[in-house]
Amino acid sequence: MNSRQRRDFEAGLAADVDAWLRGKPTRREFIKKFGQLTGMLAIGGGILPAFTQHLLAQAATDLADPSTPLGQAQALAVKASTEGPTDGSAYRATQAAKQYSGITINMTYEVGLQALDPRNFSGPLWEQLTGIKSNVVELTNPDQYSKPVAEHIAGSGAYDVLDVSPGWTPSLADGGVIAPLDDYIAKYMNTADLEDYHPLYRALPTYKGKVWGFFDDGDMFALYYRKDIFEDAKLKEAYQAKFSKALEVPKTWEDYAQVAQFITDQMAPNVYGAGHFRKAGNPGNQFDFLQQFRANNGEFFNNEMKAQLASDAGVKTLQNMIAANAASIPGNNELDAVSLWVAWLQGKVAMIYSWPPTGRMTAGYSQSDKAINFVPQSTIADKVGYAVVPGNPEHAAGYNKALAADSSNPDAAFLFMQWATSPPVSLARVMLPYALRDPYRLSHFKSELYGQLFPTAKEYLRNLNNSANVGVLDMIMPGAQDYGLSLDRMCTAVWAGADPKSSLETAAAEWDATTERLGVDSQRAFYQEFLKLPGATAANTVEKLGMAVKLD
Amino acid sequence: MANTALPRKMAAANGARRAAAFSEWSDRHFKWLLVAPAVILILALSIYPLIFSLVVSFINYDFQIPGHAFVGLKNFRQVVFDPVARWSIVLTAMLAAANVTIEFLLGLILALLMVKHFRGRGLFISIFIIPLFISPVIVGQAWALLLQRPFGPTNYILSQLLGYDVKISWLTESPWLYFAIIAADVWQWTPFMFVILLAGLTAIPQNLYEAAELDGVGGWRAFWAITVPHLAPMMLLAITLRLLDTTKLFDTIFIMTGGGPGTKTYTASFYLYTVGFAQFHISMATAGSWIFLVLTLIVVTFLVRRLLKAEQTA
Amino acid sequence: MSAAVTRQLRRRHRPTGIGRFLILGLFVLFVLAPLYWMFITSIKPSDDYLAVPPVWFPEKPTLIHYTVSLFAYRGLKGLINSLIISLAATFLSALFGSLMAYSLARFNTGGKHLSFWVLSQRFLPPVAIVLPVFLIYRYVKLHDTHIGLIIAYTVFTLPVSVWMMYAYFRQLPRSMEDAALVDGCTRWQALWRVALPLAAPGIVAAAVFAFIACWTEFFFALVLTSRDSFTLPTVFRAFIGFQGALYGEASALAIVSLAPSIALGILVQRHLVRGLTLGALRG
Repeated sequence: MNSRQRRDFEAGLAADVDAWLRGKPTRREFIKKFGQLTGMLAIGGGILPAFTQHLLAQAATDLADPSTPLGQAQALAVKASTEGPTDGSAYRATQAAKQYSGITINMTYEVGLQALDPRNFSGPLWEQLTGIKSNVVELTNPDQYSKPVAEHIAGSGAYDVLDVSPGWTPSLADGGVIAPLDDYIAKYMNTADLEDYHPLYRALPTYKGKVWGFFDDGDMFALYYRKDIFEDAKLKEAYQAKFSKALEVPKTWEDYAQVAQFITDQMAPNVYGAGHFRKAGNPGNQFDFLQQFRANNGEFFNNEMKAQLASDAGVKTLQNMIAANAASIPGNNELDAVSLWVAWLQGKVAMIYSWPPTGRMTAGYSQSDKAINFVPQSTIADKVGYAVVPGNPEHAAGYNKALAADSSNPDAAFLFMQWATSPPVSLARVMLPYALRDPYRLSHFKSELYGQLFPTAKEYLRNLNNSANVGVLDMIMPGAQDYGLSLDRMCTAVWAGADPKSSLETAAAEWDATTERLGVDSQRAFYQEFLKLPGATAANTVEKLGMAVKLD
Repeated sequence: MANTALPRKMAAANGARRAAAFSEWSDRHFKWLLVAPAVILILALSIYPLIFSLVVSFINYDFQIPGHAFVGLKNFRQVVFDPVARWSIVLTAMLAAANVTIEFLLGLILALLMVKHFRGRGLFISIFIIPLFISPVIVGQAWALLLQRPFGPTNYILSQLLGYDVKISWLTESPWLYFAIIAADVWQWTPFMFVILLAGLTAIPQNLYEAAELDGVGGWRAFWAITVPHLAPMMLLAITLRLLDTTKLFDTIFIMTGGGPGTKTYTASFYLYTVGFAQFHISMATAGSWIFLVLTLIVVTFLVRRLLKAEQTA
Repeated sequence: MSAAVTRQLRRRHRPTGIGRFLILGLFVLFVLAPLYWMFITSIKPSDDYLAVPPVWFPEKPTLIHYTVSLFAYRGLKGLINSLIISLAATFLSALFGSLMAYSLARFNTGGKHLSFWVLSQRFLPPVAIVLPVFLIYRYVKLHDTHIGLIIAYTVFTLPVSVWMMYAYFRQLPRSMEDAALVDGCTRWQALWRVALPLAAPGIVAAAVFAFIACWTEFFFALVLTSRDSFTLPTVFRAFIGFQGALYGEASALAIVSLAPSIALGILVQRHLVRGLTLGALRG
């Protein structure tokens, strides 16, 4: 139907309606035309999805130019899968999976950017290697928890491989949503690969003595700062004069707020000292509180499992955060992580701490892919310095690949997980420009190829490794989401002017209610389990336990 | 026509007896056959789940606690003693009242201004009704874009107009965030009021006004004597429908404030969603929604009964 | 009232006040401002996001947000799903709603209670029934299917369809149907040949409202779909993600989603207003 016909057609429709209203029944005509319109849309609706699918389905794996570092890493991943070493996890997974050729595995992934990797790279490559098709189910982060739970309650077996936050593991394991991997690991895997994880991440998927997933995303907060500002002679002089000490990248949270305020006083409105993602319902508040609370030697629970939030550590943490907010870019309390990146990349803030993609965006590497157009080009690529967040950085969320207990093809699903997280394949994945998966294996941190991605890539990797050495983990115990929600509410209430102490008390009361609902004794047992993990408190970080990884 | 009518007649003759029997049967149950599809669908997808959820609200259906034991009123107790739940009911009522009042008054003013024909009236109407076609999720995002610091232009425009530097955090600062939420709702739903009230106004016979004018009655007195009584059923209709919906306020909250800061913008629906689908305490959420349901029923029963009465006497 | 008199009246009441246009103009501004800003955000390169003063119109407009949100993400499929599901549910809702309303209006079927019961469905909190619906759908294999969502939306919009049509039918004189019955029509024929055509304006209005409700519905779609039959609002929600909102993509998809509904709105605009008068309109 061309545009003129369409115009006539639509005009006719309106005229028919008019005719009706004038009391001239032309029902037959109207129904005919309305049917035509509906039918046309329905047919168009049938053709278009097929067309879309054609557009979206990549005929071949989306491989980078082989001369680039990424291209070389991809070639190595393919080689490790097809030629070996034959005792490698990638090779063994590929060989064992070939018998399942033709089936489809359904995997959940965070919607959008995260899903580009399995859709464009690892999914098609896996199909090419094994004949197993993959169907990527894109879910928002909260849905990555709730949908598998709902599907499990319904017993549908809709998913095979799940991407889950490590903090959800106890809930999902106890709820029977995910299956332990130990038998599969014994059967298929080269266990030497487990030693290649950074010590902070190695124990993460372990719960009640079993392995419930493969860690797959090193979401370590790190501090990114503007070298040019911290090295500015006039600023240094002024800072020295005002505070009788040198202007340096802050090592404590008090210094952090003071430096941020100083820069804001000196440079606003061109540049502000800091920025944070503090929007309600986004995870920034709870992660930041968790890291600073523990850096201040706060403890979550006492022996009676009473929440210890309303302690000196809690008050101090909130006061520092309030001071930092006051020193920040206007609108700080409304920012989410992406808008903070925008402000940072445009040179509006001097310091941010955020997830590792920050470094790749700052270097301008991420923006080389058109999918990363929601952040601007970097104006500060050559001005960025990397540092460890004052005290202890949070490992904020992260992802485990977990095996759905209801999967009808558990072996094939497991083999995909093993292959995708194996050292050579995972390296190629974390190097994708649009990747939101961040380096987590020792072989990633040491990778020469990754080190060539952008001029300061080696420094960036070293800083991520150093951060992990002193990093702290999100709570890994049942109710983690309830506890986190209480923290988010508490923080945003305080930002809006509520009294810190009483807000801490409210949050502590909510924590106690959650603990009671889930059973004080069982929660105590879980908490004790959690405390055994490296990185559970500032006192038992990887470094304090003597397991720190040093890169030269 | 003739060549299609012939075969039809033959077919009718063939199965005449059966058809006659069927036709008699279907004519006898005519009125019930008409309501059957709608009633069956509503029963299947609305009443049955409701009964199911009533059952759920008396057992343990919490993903983190295994088993489905009968727990009596525990779920209800948890909701009733949750200060957030109580606040969410209060906030829902206040927002509903504010939203519907503003939308009604604004819609009425616009409808009064638009009732008479003038050049460009159609264009105005076209523009006014646009928000009705937009998903509340998108409306929330559009307003967030407009208001959010430091991206949104609102503070800049206000600063230019007022001559001093406006620094309002529209989405995190009390009381401004309530204005933001109300603005988004008013933006979307004033057209609804407007459309219904305009229709009502258009239907008032002009000769009433002419008669009044001849009697020397005009302006406000004519408005109260003629417009208001004639428009009353329409007003009640518009207000009722809006009240039904505004108690479910969720999408714009979800996008604009995420319930924050603290629990300042937790409406009843947002609270229930958070309990049910973020924390996965399903039985607590269903118990809460039953409480909410009973509360809204009381209000709405009153309104709808009035409405039906007005309809029948009109 | 004759057309001539009406015209005369209209001329006499031609607007004179500048105040009227000021108020109307302000409201037009109020309506268009968020849309304009959203449109600008959708064609603005992300480099312009933070500019002071704000960029009212980008120097280098870009369509990248459109192509990315439609093709790199799942926007196009969501759009098509939304169209199919909304149209089908609208059709069913208008059909079943009209039938029921006719029965209520002409035969007082079930008395006051039935009509009140139907309307009361309108304000069930979705959160109360969505999980059981999900479980039922799983059982009958309707989860994440177009049919499933169509049925859910039909039910969801039925109360309003029924109610609008109920009022409409009561306002229609029954004399023409009676005449048809006297002429030997069956009740079905009287309904199909006489009553429904006469009620067409009301049906169109009811259908438009049903369509709006389906087109903008978010909560059921969120829970009842996952990978195949997701609709536009759920795709949009995905842009407001864990780490933050993709402003450009979200805005682009929003602008795309406005197109069909605005087109529809303009097609039936005048009839929307008139159709909505329901039973209160007395000729």
